[in-house]
Amino acid sequence: MTLVQVIINGVLLGGVYALFAAGLNMIVGVMRVINLAHGELMMLGAYTTFMLFSLAHVNPLLSIPASAALMLILGMALQRLMVERVVRQPLLSSLLLTFGLSTLFLGVALNVWTGDQRSVSYLSGSLSVGGLQISVVRMVAFAVAVALTGATFLFLRCSTFGKTIRATAQHPDAAQACGIDVTRVRMVTFGIGSALAAAAGSLVSMMFTFNPEIGQAFLPKAFAVIVLGGLGSFVGALLGALVLGVSETVAGYFSSGQRAESVAFVILIVMLMIRPAGLFGTNE
Amino acid sequence: MDEMHYAPTVRLCRRRFLHIAAAAASSLGLAACSSNPTPAPGPTTSAGAATAPGSSTPVVIGVAISTTGSNGDTGTYQQQGYQLWEEAVNAKGGLLGRPVKFLFYDDQSDPTTSSRLYEKLITQDSVDLVLGPYASNVTAAVAQVTERYHYPMIAVGAAATEIWQKGYKYVFGLASTTDLQYSTLIRDVIGPLKYSTVALIYEDSLFPISEINGAREYLKKLETKVVLDEKYPPKATDLSSVLTHVRDANPDVVLGGTYTPDSELIVRQAKELNVNPKLYAFTVGPGDPNFVANLGADADWITSPSIWEPVINTPGNAEFVQRYESRFNRSIDYHVATGYSGGMVLDAAVKEAGSLDRDKVRDALANIRLQTVLPGEYRVDQTGAQIGHVMMSIQIQNGKRVVVAPKNLATGTVMAPTPPWNER
Repeated sequence: MTLVQVIINGVLLGGVYALFAAGLNMIVGVMRVINLAHGELMMLGAYTTFMLFSLAHVNPLLSIPASAALMLILGMALQRLMVERVVRQPLLSSLLLTFGLSTLFLGVALNVWTGDQRSVSYLSGSLSVGGLQISVVRMVAFAVAVALTGATFLFLRCSTFGKTIRATAQHPDAAQACGIDVTRVRMVTFGIGSALAAAAGSLVSMMFTFNPEIGQAFLPKAFAVIVLGGLGSFVGALLGALVLGVSETVAGYFSSGQRAESVAFVILIVMLMIRPAGLFGTNE
Repeated sequence: MDEMHYAPTVRLCRRRFLHIAAAAASSLGLAACSSNPTPAPGPTTSAGAATAPGSSTPVVIGVAISTTGSNGDTGTYQQQGYQLWEEAVNAKGGLLGRPVKFLFYDDQSDPTTSSRLYEKLITQDSVDLVLGPYASNVTAAVAQVTERYHYPMIAVGAAATEIWQKGYKYVFGLASTTDLQYSTLIRDVIGPLKYSTVALIYEDSLFPISEINGAREYLKKLETKVVLDEKYPPKATDLSSVLTHVRDANPDVVLGGTYTPDSELIVRQAKELNVNPKLYAFTVGPGDPNFVANLGADADWITSPSIWEPVINTPGNAEFVQRYESRFNRSIDYHVATGYSGGMVLDAAVKEAGSLDRDKVRDALANIRLQTVLPGEYRVDQTGAQIGHVMMSIQIQNGKRVVVAPKNLATGTVMAPTPPWNER
């Protein structure tokens, strides 16, 4: 029974990892840019929700569209002004750029909000279902995360613009030759990726106590999720996130919390050794 | 804002003063002034010469402290404590009849930067005295510098036990070291409640480990049984497995070695998993002014060790709190009180020494006993570690921090057992 409980907790945690990793994965897929500032975009999303909640008492769930919209705009601006210049350049250029952005956002956030530990006090406690305790806030966060991840997946599958994004990811030159404005596609993709990070941040602000350094704690997990699920694969990232969440909590239950945290990296290393493309890497 | 204002003015004055001093020295043939750049070990006192030129020459106290970086907030509070003491001491006629002036630098929460800045304060700015930086890791680095130059330092912002295990002669503690954190809470709260089983859960890093090592010793004296002893990694995002272990062990007390984020995560997930010990205690977290805001009513019933509280009746405490809140327009926390008390101790030591001779000040710091705004008294042992300070215990009751131990400082009594989550 306890083990079932632990697995449920892992699945719920995995939902938020999935949402966060999905944005990062899209950006890598479309422009081969590893966005090291993705964690900071999430952090800005968390602070948007926190500010709206503490200053204007906006319901944290209703503030998700606001934080996503803000980061959509910021993401598109960043892409057009800076990231676009390093697309198809050596990997080091984009790493340096996004690392710089990450440091900049972190520094600004520490100045604006200080290092104080914040949180949004909302939906505490749990539901008791057949002897199992299911965290309300984590369940809601999981539902929102899965809904948003699913919506993005459908958008990429079914909408015309989604198809242009996938075309650009598969072959930018061919896409351009077919008349797709790849510059615009990249800009919008970066915006959507940032918005997904912000939505994850809004959910994180309800689940955890955070300060501007929260993004740094989440970024490595997103990399593990992407490597596990497969670069550019949306379904893979979702499954990868769930596997990561469950293995963290299960490892923590059977050994100690210390070892649980290393699970992400063990998975990462093992996957890179035996199946570098990830579980679903070849599909897309 | 104030520190930016402070540093350049003082530096300017300092430079001008050095020019004048140099000119005076060359024309009058004076060998030394208070700003002797090399330390003067032994009894040759430069301070006597410095007091003579005029009582308006300020006594300059050098401090590098974290006003930016990860400790930027707490470092700033400690600095505000220093500034408040500066104003208080100058209103009373200064130190040895001379005004006190601080020379502040920002170490950006970085130990290497801080030790470099203390080296600069001592060798280039030639400050008369120093006071400690913020945070133990920074203090540990700085102590090597101040020790080398024989500058006595009150380690205002440090609590790591290790600092006083290195044989330093010029480093003095102000508040209880980490291993003493749980002393009062275990003896005066858990003891009388006769709780017999404890789960220790703590972050796997230097401070929490040291706090829990101390707690284990105090628990032995009570013959309390430790039924779970589990570490978790820093920055953990899920402690449900740790709390499932706690629930399985079903202890009377959950004793945490925590920082703010993990203490709040424990509370959230303990509620979710319906973990119901009779008492919760966390080290860092409940003392954070944001703790109640972050957790709402779930913060109630939680206990914590405390270094200082605004409500206690130590001499001058109420007036100090009021002066701070009107001057800085925010609610006070203990970092201000330690900063202010550090100034008070230095004040007393200089009076005792009767001069700014740093070896005499050092001897005074090793021997004096005095009451600051902190509970207990200032008194150090052979190693310079603080032994007179008394840890307190607080409990959050209806969103307010109430001092529940020791008895002479208590503003209320401990409420226990904590009701189960579903009955709150």
